[in-house]
Amino acid sequence: MIQVNNIRKTYGKVTAVDGVSFSIGKGEVFGLLGPNGAGKSTMIRILTCLTIPDGGSAAIGGRHVVAEASSIKSLIGVVPQENNLDRELSVEENLLIYGKLHRVADLPQRTVQVLTDVDLLERRDSLVSGLSGGMKRRLIIARALLTDPAVLFLDEPSVGLDPQIRRQLWDIVRRVGRTGRTVLLTTHYIEEADALCDRVGVLRKGRLIALDTPAALKQMVGPFVVDQITEDGRLVQHTARDREEAHELARTLENGCTVRRTNLEDVFIKLTGERIE
Amino acid sequence: MNTLEATKEKPEMGGTPLNIPISQNKRSSLTDIFNLIGWYPVFLREMLLFRRKLVKMGYLVSAMLVPLIYLVVFGYGLGKSVKLNGGDYLTFLIPGLVAMSSMTNSYTWVASALNLNRLYFKTFQILIQAPVSAGAIMIGEVLAGMVKGLFAASLLIFMGLCAPGHFHVTPILILATILNCFMFSCLGVITGMLAKSHEDTSTYNNFFILPMSFFSGTFFPLDRMPPILKGIIYLLPLSHTNILIRKTELDGAGLSSLLVMIAYTVVFLVIGTRLIKKYSE
Repeated sequence: MIQVNNIRKTYGKVTAVDGVSFSIGKGEVFGLLGPNGAGKSTMIRILTCLTIPDGGSAAIGGRHVVAEASSIKSLIGVVPQENNLDRELSVEENLLIYGKLHRVADLPQRTVQVLTDVDLLERRDSLVSGLSGGMKRRLIIARALLTDPAVLFLDEPSVGLDPQIRRQLWDIVRRVGRTGRTVLLTTHYIEEADALCDRVGVLRKGRLIALDTPAALKQMVGPFVVDQITEDGRLVQHTARDREEAHELARTLENGCTVRRTNLEDVFIKLTGERIE
Repeated sequence: MNTLEATKEKPEMGGTPLNIPISQNKRSSLTDIFNLIGWYPVFLREMLLFRRKLVKMGYLVSAMLVPLIYLVVFGYGLGKSVKLNGGDYLTFLIPGLVAMSSMTNSYTWVASALNLNRLYFKTFQILIQAPVSAGAIMIGEVLAGMVKGLFAASLLIFMGLCAPGHFHVTPILILATILNCFMFSCLGVITGMLAKSHEDTSTYNNFFILPMSFFSGTFFPLDRMPPILKGIIYLLPLSHTNILIRKTELDGAGLSSLLVMIAYTVVFLVIGTRLIKKYSE
């Protein structure tokens, strides 16, 4: 469904995306994971026709994202990182404008449907400025789904949300994934990529350094990790091939060791020597 | 190149081959620019926002305040001792204030709203990511700016009709005001797209719009200007609005000013549309 081939984008002397290639199948939930400044948002902006790349090519449903941008725009729904709702318009007016821009058929019915899906129907007449952060985020998702897009892009969808709201949002994304839509989300939350994505691409400094299923990526590092706090307070992590090896390792090390399952952050640390922040 | 390929499912391919040459990283054709389908939601959005502002008394007062100050200070104060071509100054001044007010309102509304929506609120992204052409976005924004400019001009015309003197609303005044609003809304789009920060829009305002308000025949006839300045003044679009708006019938000078305004409008329209078409974050 999405083909990205050697995409490059620079801003002055800063290389935001450096020769990234990947492909995403239809109906797949795909995550781009990486720290701030890794190039995730630039990648989304290129694929959603906001940014023209300096080199390479990208296609959605076989259509080029720059040369055939107008036909791409009918295929995609976008949940941007920033809240770009019209604050001085009501919930319903925001959807009305978006629906008319995208020429949505049966707009009143679709509006009711998507607002019901995100549990905002009773707030349809409220001004956006009066909504909580979580409600605004849900409304942006409803807006993106209004056109019934084949591909949904979510750029850091849960950034700044409290854990309870974040999990509500994950439920919505899971429901969207189950409808057969292709989903591409960027995140720097490890647990978000782990909970939602069929496959994860790890970006660092504009380059794609790993791409596989979360399970395969964790297996690559080792399924268990022993966290050791040293006497000078540093955290040292050791990987193990199985639970027995992990516990054996913990016993041989000094006190303060904990055994746990590997997560995607361990993968990132293993690959880069850095933490995701 | 840094490729890590592990696709779970074979991707669906459409008609265009994946390996598209880099030269196609250009947004296409002029025909798309002038496809105006989709202008209405762009216009409607601005109108819904404008309606919310209108119900706030603060907006109405601020829209009327500046022209009212000019009317009182220059018209009733200074104007009592000034006669122009045998007529009273207020009759000369009011059409100039209509031109100035329609210019500043249509220009400023479009320039600052577009700039804020692009750089801070990010709502401009919604328009760029919608399947509407750059021409449709341009026309929607410009028509909305035009309505706002015409609203301010209507307030001033109403004040002018209530004032003593011989101010009349003529068809040429209406034509000049509408064209003026359209022209400066187009210029507003250009500023809104080019300004790199909201402060930049004020700089454009201070260097271009404000001097033009005073030098383009709003407060005194252009023929009283020193010859050396006249050449520059006649290059300013507002000068031609001020010439046209005071005509009671379309003579040679009025017609040439009308043509200059149309030429400026077309140039601003094309530049604004191209800037939207080339937009990339």
